[in-house]
Amino acid sequence: MSTQTTYEEQDLILRLRQQDDQAFSYLYDHYSGALYGVIKQIVPDLELANDVLQEVFVNIWRKIGSYDASKGRLFTWMLNIARNAAIDKTRSKAYQEGLRQQSLTEDTVLTGVAVVHPGMDDYGLKKQLLKLKEEQRLLIDLSYYHGYTHEQIAKALNMPVGTVKTRIRSALTQLRTLLS
Amino acid sequence: MNLKEYISNGIVESYVLGLATEAERAEFEIMCQQYPEVAQAREQFELSLEAVLMEDAAPVPLFVKEQVLTAIQQQTALNKTVEEATDETPVLSMGVWKWLAAACFVLFLGSGYLYFTTKQQNNELQQANNDLKQELSNTTAQLNSLRSDADMLHHASMKITPMQGTPVAPQAAATIYWDTASRDVYLLINNLPQPASDKQYQLWALLNGKPIDLGVFDVKEQRLLVHMKNVQNAQAFAITLEQKGGSPTPKGDMYVMGKL
Repeated sequence: MSTQTTYEEQDLILRLRQQDDQAFSYLYDHYSGALYGVIKQIVPDLELANDVLQEVFVNIWRKIGSYDASKGRLFTWMLNIARNAAIDKTRSKAYQEGLRQQSLTEDTVLTGVAVVHPGMDDYGLKKQLLKLKEEQRLLIDLSYYHGYTHEQIAKALNMPVGTVKTRIRSALTQLRTLLS
Repeated sequence: MNLKEYISNGIVESYVLGLATEAERAEFEIMCQQYPEVAQAREQFELSLEAVLMEDAAPVPLFVKEQVLTAIQQQTALNKTVEEATDETPVLSMGVWKWLAAACFVLFLGSGYLYFTTKQQNNELQQANNDLKQELSNTTAQLNSLRSDADMLHHASMKITPMQGTPVAPQAAATIYWDTASRDVYLLINNLPQPASDKQYQLWALLNGKPIDLGVFDVKEQRLLVHMKNVQNAQAFAITLEQKGGSPTPKGDMYVMGKL
C-alpha cells in the first residue's frame, strides 16, 4: 500500500467528519457501484436494492464519527454497513411478503437459495467464488450472502456446529488465496 | 499461540467480512494492536477484497444519488435548526461588573420569559395533539361502524324494502334491510323530517293487517343503519310519529310505508 492512498483516505475521512458535501459526493461516486454490486447479490429486486443503497449512504453520513480506522479500512466499514442493511431488508416484512417465508431448512438449501451459481456475469468476486468446491461455495453463500449463523447452517445441513465453522474458515482461507 | 497459524486459520477473513462472533472480534482487535503482522494480514485481505469488489461495481441509477443528497440535506437542516434553537451566545465584553450583572438579570428575565412561553406553547401543542388524537379515534370508530354496516348490506340473505312517503309527508323515505336468515331488522333513514321534541318515530312490521312494534328511533342516529327489533315474519313495514317513547299500537300519522 502506498503512503499516498493512506493520506487520501485519512483526508477523506477528516473531511467527511466535518460534513463536507464535496467529500461525501466523491465518496458516493467512488464507492456506490461496488456497494450496489454487493447489495444486489443479496437483494435482487432492483427497487429494494436502490432503497438499501440510499439507506446505506445516509447511514455512512450519519455514523462516520464512529468509524475507527484502527479496526479496518473505510471500505470494509462501509461494506459491512451495506451487507447488514441488505440482509436486514431480506428479513423485513415487506420483502418476506413478496417471497414465500424462507426459513433455512434442508429443503431450501437443496433446492438452492444459493446466489452464487454459474451465470452470465461471472466476474470479480463471483468468478473467484466459483473456483471453490460446491460445498464451500454453499457455506459462504449461506453465511455471507444470507447472514445465517453457524448454528442455523449446522441444523439445516445436519452437521456439527464445529464442522460448519471449520469448513467456513477453510473456505475463507482459500478465498483469500484466490484473491491475492 | 503460533501467530502464523492464527493468521491463516480464517479469522482474518471472518473479521473483515463481518462473520466473526463478538468474542472473536474482540480478540482479533487486541491481536491487531499487539502484533503488526496480524494487522498487516488484515489490511492485505481488505485491499484484495476491495479491489475485486470495485471490479464488481454495478451501475447505480442516477436518481439514487439525488435521493441520498436530499435526505442528507434535510437531516443537516434539521440539525442546524436544533443547534440554533439551543445556542444562546451572550455577549460579555464590557468588563464592568454592574453591566455584567445587569446583562445577567436581563438574560435571566429573558430566559424566564422564554421558559414560560415555550412551556405554554408546549402545553398548547400537547392539547392540540390530544384533541387531534381524540378526533382521529372518534373518526376511526365511526368509519369502522360505517364499514361494518356496509359489509352487512352485502349479505346474500339481506332483503331490501324501500318505504315511500305518504300524503302526510310525500318527500319522506326510508329503507328496511331485513336479514331473512337472522331476522334482524336494520333501518336506513333516507329522509324524515325532524320531529317535535316530545315526539318520536316508531317502526312497525305489518302481518295480516296487524302492526308489530319494532321500536322507536331518533332521526339523528350516528350510524348508517339503525338496528331495530327482530321480526319473524312481515308483509310490509311502516313508520308512524308517536309520543316520545313509543306506543303499543300505532296512533299517530304514518310517514312512510313499503310492502315486501
